[in-house]
Amino acid sequence: MSRDAILRKIDNANAVRMSSDVAAAAAALIAEPDGYRATFAPQSVYDRFVAKATSETVTATVEDIASLEALPEAVAAYIANNELVPRIALQPRDSLTELNWSGFETVDQAQMNETLAVTFADAAIAETGSLVFRTAPDAPVLLNFLPLHHLVVVRRSSILPHMEDAFDHFGTTADAQRRSLNVITGTSGTADIEAKNVRGAHGPRFMHIYCVTD
Amino acid sequence: MKQTSHQFSENVTRALAEPTLKIALDRTTTLLRTRRAKVIDAFPEYAKARETAQKIKDHTLDNLGHYLRQFEENAIASGAQVYWAATPAEARKTVTDICKAEGAKTATRVKSMLGEEIGIGEALADAGVERIETDLAEHIIQLAGDPPSHIVMPAMHKTQEQVAELFAAKHKEPSEEQDVTSLVGSARRELRAKFMNADISISGANFLIADTGSFVTVTNEGNAELTTTPPKTHIVTVGIEKIVPSLKHAAVFLRLLSRAAIGTEITQYTTFFNGPKRDGDRDGPENLHIVLVDNHRSDMLSDFLRPMLRCIRCGACMNHCPVYAAVGGHAYGAVYPGPMGSVLTPAMTGLKGSKDLPNACTLNGRCREVCPVNIPLTDMLRALRAKQFDEGMPTPMTKWALRLWGVMATRPALYRFGTGVSNMALRLLARGRGKITSVPLAGGWTRTRDLPEPEAGTFMQQYKKRR
Ligand code: SF4
Repeated sequence: MSRDAILRKIDNANAVRMSSDVAAAAAALIAEPDGYRATFAPQSVYDRFVAKATSETVTATVEDIASLEALPEAVAAYIANNELVPRIALQPRDSLTELNWSGFETVDQAQMNETLAVTFADAAIAETGSLVFRTAPDAPVLLNFLPLHHLVVVRRSSILPHMEDAFDHFGTTADAQRRSLNVITGTSGTADIEAKNVRGAHGPRFMHIYCVTD
Repeated sequence: MKQTSHQFSENVTRALAEPTLKIALDRTTTLLRTRRAKVIDAFPEYAKARETAQKIKDHTLDNLGHYLRQFEENAIASGAQVYWAATPAEARKTVTDICKAEGAKTATRVKSMLGEEIGIGEALADAGVERIETDLAEHIIQLAGDPPSHIVMPAMHKTQEQVAELFAAKHKEPSEEQDVTSLVGSARRELRAKFMNADISISGANFLIADTGSFVTVTNEGNAELTTTPPKTHIVTVGIEKIVPSLKHAAVFLRLLSRAAIGTEITQYTTFFNGPKRDGDRDGPENLHIVLVDNHRSDMLSDFLRPMLRCIRCGACMNHCPVYAAVGGHAYGAVYPGPMGSVLTPAMTGLKGSKDLPNACTLNGRCREVCPVNIPLTDMLRALRAKQFDEGMPTPMTKWALRLWGVMATRPALYRFGTGVSNMALRLLARGRGKITSVPLAGGWTRTRDLPEPEAGTFMQQYKKRR
């Protein structure tokens, strides 16, 4: 069987190299993460997140809202400003669906050419201006990828400094993993034609982030 | 793809004669180099990050058997099926068998170099499955019928004008405008429905996480998630060296990969996948198959090419290589071009059929300097040259020339006389124009470029005069 033959070859090649305590050796390599990742003190986690999310390469926009209840009104303004149809693909999560969406057509699934979706991010990462989405029955993947306009809600308290903090927050063991963890940093882009940067390649072209400050 | 590394010099001659190729390469590599320099300058922790990345890879390679077993166990526990393939043929057969068992008709694919390496196109064709490339660059070269010419930007050899022509001819609703934004829009329209209706999705993985059984993809387009979510079955083909111990170890590489490849701090979409669709999930594949591919990686573990297994396929070495910038990726005639390819191709397909590759290098060392995992590319290329010599591979002409040089170099008076005469001869050929446009018997050198006029006198002559 190929499996055993491959592993045997590997073990032979490594006979004198294997660590005696593999886990300890692996942990020692990442014991001081601040030495090898971008640190940003004295800038606050929130300021760093906003600066990165709205930077030239990430291209999102950020708006503070006082509470989740203020979301429908804020979304209404976005739709009006961009002259879009009042239809929202809404993540089927209780905290979103129980809000008052009167005046909008809401659907819980994105169509192939969906214009706009509103989804909740489970966390955000300040270092890179990224949003973190974990799949769940009320958090499907495609809602974050199909729409042209991606509107994201994130709680200010769930903005974490670094990617490692997000791993710690959700758990690093095999059992703690959901089917997928999407780390999304801005909008879909491509540089495949002469390295020129263009937005809206396959996924969203616009990203607007509502930061709930309560 | 059909390997043509054995006819490297013919390939180069053809590449140099192609006027648009140089334009495409210049436009792209210049931008990529500038962007990388800028983002690395703004990352004071870079040196430490690079050192850490190298150490993690070395540690993981030292314990590769342990980590692969751990990954396998966790991936199976997550609901995935895991296969092992020693050769590209075995990997293809595994993929073909899965497709046949599923009765699949169409497959959407996320670009991966490993897929190219094993010939995934062939595997799908054997199963009678239509292959739809979703990465924009792969889509371009699929329409053009070209092999990839770069590991991160496979369509680097195409100019914007050429892409416009191609889309106008092949897309159902091409755009009137020919600017890059419109071209991207045209591809978006073309591919949308295909994402949603494919039977199978195929991807590679940038990292495997041993202690969770997860695998990671990174894209800027978001095509990995759009491709792998709707179809019922997802097949991952991945090289065994992609493994890292844990999620946090992967984070170290995510910071380096995008910076080195395209000059951004992180890719737009970084996804950690763990098993197939769970109970209650509204989307995601029902079946997940992971094919772990060796293809000589385990051989490389026990020779001087071992450090090459640290490679994270960022492409920085080729973006900074003067040879690559002059001839482009196709001239190398293999899946992996540029400096890293000149090391990998001989390792994976034998030195005999690729003996020009280690020599297509000026040993300027830029590749190693920009490599985010500090792979000693030039040392390895030099070692491959030595190996070639030991195995008696150079042509009689090369051997003869080296012997002649040996005779000259060990006799200083003769050497000085010889270099003095050739210096005079070259100055005569230049006729005071500052450049030499043709040299008798060396047409291969001057056909595509000029030789600069030499200084008045050899180094030794000038040194004596000035002393
Ligand atoms: S050899 Fe280094 S620079 Fe080249 S692709 Fe691999 S990691 Fe990148």
